[in-house]
Amino acid sequence: MTPISFKGTREGLLITLGEGAWHDILNELAMQLSRPGAQSFFKGARVILETGQRPIAVTELEELIALFAQHEMTLSSVMGERQTQEAFDQVQASLPAPESLTQGSADGLPADATHALLIRRTVRSGQVIRHAGTVVVIGDVNPGAEVIAEGDVIVWGKLRGVVHAGASGAENAMVGALILAPTQLRIGGYIARAPDEKRASSWPAEIARVRDGQIIVEPWSA
Amino acid sequence: MASLLPEDTMGGQVITITSGKGGVGKTTATANLGVALARRGQRVVCVDADIGLRNLDVVLGLENRIVYDLVDVIEGHAKLRQALIKDKRLPELQLLPAAQKRDKTAVTDKQMIKLCDDLKREFDFVLIDSPAGIEGGFKYSIAPSDQVIVIVTPEVSSVRDADRVIGLVEAQEKPTPKLVINRMRPSMVKRGEMLATADVLEILAVELLGIVPEDEAIITSTNKGHPVALEDHSPAGVAFTRIAKRMMGEDVPFQVPEDSEGLLDRFSRLFRR
Repeated sequence: MTPISFKGTREGLLITLGEGAWHDILNELAMQLSRPGAQSFFKGARVILETGQRPIAVTELEELIALFAQHEMTLSSVMGERQTQEAFDQVQASLPAPESLTQGSADGLPADATHALLIRRTVRSGQVIRHAGTVVVIGDVNPGAEVIAEGDVIVWGKLRGVVHAGASGAENAMVGALILAPTQLRIGGYIARAPDEKRASSWPAEIARVRDGQIIVEPWSA
Repeated sequence: MASLLPEDTMGGQVITITSGKGGVGKTTATANLGVALARRGQRVVCVDADIGLRNLDVVLGLENRIVYDLVDVIEGHAKLRQALIKDKRLPELQLLPAAQKRDKTAVTDKQMIKLCDDLKREFDFVLIDSPAGIEGGFKYSIAPSDQVIVIVTPEVSSVRDADRVIGLVEAQEKPTPKLVINRMRPSMVKRGEMLATADVLEILAVELLGIVPEDEAIITSTNKGHPVALEDHSPAGVAFTRIAKRMMGEDVPFQVPEDSEGLLDRFSRLFRR
């Protein structure tokens, strides 16, 4: 079993790290990236890193980013444990913000927001999805799970976890779900939480966005 | 000599029983499923993976027969067949007890996989009773499994932990776990005071393997070391027997005792998808 798998997706290159000592994984990855012919294939790739259960420390992430930089690759998002996500946050905070994230496009969303990450499964408790663009989940987002996107968040299913759209400050980002019942909903710098009393589940789908300085929820009408 | 067949096509299957949350009935389920399978002629070994907090021997009433344990086998101090304890009632059932004087660091994933490969050659079912939590003990319990059974009670906290555990198992590229809902009280569900089967399945979205009702007989049977599945008169024992039949591939219809029909329809629709 190789500890590392590569998969091309529309959102970028998905690299999944397996079990094993960190040192071995890093060496293996370095070897895979510098195989003859691989160089031109990987060059310029946006990497989505899937770390599974393995928690990754800040220093380890920095090693990875440095390795990617050698191959002119960039790490765009991380899917894994909360600890890993926090490490990624720290690393990102310490790096100069990549241009694509600071340059707003015409509608005020980050330019990257058009690069959507598609998740076709249930996002379960303890799992965190973090992406520099829009996140689309086909499945549920369960209580205890988090979706953090710099663009919009669309859930084709039940949204019951914590969701943050426009995480880099875009207040015109929106959150839509077939059943919108998040534990907590954040858009840009605004925070709303589910009402304590149960609300009758609504149909059709609902959409949350910021209007006049607060988050409002309304039926999703095209 | 190396076999021509890959190892996991040979012999029995390894089934890990886990939950995340403690106290939801992993050990009770392991003991009773082991008993129910053995009563149907399956060769079963129950492995207590809760090193340092061993319980399965007590529930099975075999505590006073322990000489060697799982760690002794892994460390080479004892042969597997020296450590295995034959059940006093069922010839097909054996127990591999946990070590009581060690802790979870005494075992690695690889050692557990090797141990289960050995056990699979001798048994139709290797049932691993996983410790609570999601740390090392959980990881080495999951590592050798062909199938995982998650035990959940109809409470929000238990469902949350089960969801977490299902996510972790899926991340290991194991088959999606199957679910046993334990300690269900139909009367409380009816009054809206407890999560119903449909509520649990709606969140977890996995295949249901069975529902076990709350049963006071479990407490007395645990204290006596006499699992309820040894007889056919207690509701929980019957429920475990039905689950065991499903594990053997029999098509046993689901029963939700005393639950309203609308609910039954809802959850049967859920688990069929």
